[in-house]
Amino acid sequence: RLSMSPSRFAPRQAPSKDAVRQLCQECFSSPPASLGPLAVRTCSSLAVSPAEAEQLVPALHSLTRHIVYRGLVRAEDILALFPETFHQNLKNLLTKIILENISAWKNEAQESQISLPRLVDMDWRVDIQTSSESISRMAVPTCLLQLKIQEDVALCGNSPVVSALTVELSKETLDTMLEGLGRIRDQLSAVANK
Amino acid sequence: MGLLNFTRDPVPEAVSGDMHNLNQLSAQQFSDLTEVLFRFLTEPKEVERFLAQLSDFATMNKISLGPLKNIVKSILLVPSGALKRNLSPEQVRADFIALGLSEEKASYFAEQWKVNSPTLTRLAVGQTLMINQLVDMEWKFGVTAGSSELEKVGSIFFQLKLVVKKGSQTENVYMELTLPQFYSFLHEMERVKTSLESFS
Repeated sequence: RLSMSPSRFAPRQAPSKDAVRQLCQECFSSPPASLGPLAVRTCSSLAVSPAEAEQLVPALHSLTRHIVYRGLVRAEDILALFPETFHQNLKNLLTKIILENISAWKNEAQESQISLPRLVDMDWRVDIQTSSESISRMAVPTCLLQLKIQEDVALCGNSPVVSALTVELSKETLDTMLEGLGRIRDQLSAVANK
Repeated sequence: MGLLNFTRDPVPEAVSGDMHNLNQLSAQQFSDLTEVLFRFLTEPKEVERFLAQLSDFATMNKISLGPLKNIVKSILLVPSGALKRNLSPEQVRADFIALGLSEEKASYFAEQWKVNSPTLTRLAVGQTLMINQLVDMEWKFGVTAGSSELEKVGSIFFQLKLVVKKGSQTENVYMELTLPQFYSFLHEMERVKTSLESFS
């Protein structure tokens, strides 16, 4: 869940839809270094104060990139990212605009080599659970794997967004995963030994 | 058996038999076993140590290790569920009693749960997040040709896509790992595999 305080999105007068559309596009495409100047330009087009623009632009940048990298495609999933107190009409408008742009932005991301989110930490533990597969319902060990993922440092500036993903792996899934990872290790060795 | 706090699913049949066997342990034996269990619960990655201590317990008390492991797995169902649901010591006690453990032993276990609660709560924080099923995994690795950061020239990176299922929805999660991270990840997953095998 991204932290977006509602006050960042409360322009004093309703911005034009085109201005919002343009802003979303620019926020997504802009590399972090250009967010500052973009914020300055935004003040006039959206009638927000410089302080508001300075918060709005990076937040919109993180939001649009998060949506693209997570592969969110449904309106419900995007709407769920906004805080409950968020301005309803603006939320709907932003969601609509984002949905219109998603596939174009995905292509843009792939072509421009924006980095993927990075793994920053991982942790695991063994969990004993009831297996729903066997009729007699046995207690079986599974693995709970927690991955901490950071949106590209370059994207987030001073406040990188780190999300935690907890995944449950059965022994079978783990075996399959290890088979795959082992093949990669073999491929890497082959490359290294050339 | 009434409604349990730690799970909504039916409990494995073996559990009541295992609780019955636990009731046969003396208070001292149960206390020793509980100590081993909580050492594991508070440091859950120390699987090898846990299994060694269980093995020692089995030897010292002349119990077969196989049946002991099954008993332990039955016991551990409760803390696993309790951590996910943030259960109180009272709820843990109630669940053990409902499963057939004697009141005395259930109270003792719940007391230890309370004592260890700060550590357990800290561990539980990570678990109250939604747990997803891993459905599929794809990867590729490549070499960065060059970027604004000089160190990245010619470095190998590893890109992973996990397809996870949250309830009925499927989500793709993308991430990048450096080569050392990839090897570390592989190493950890091999540790997990060994751990899961020793519990089976």
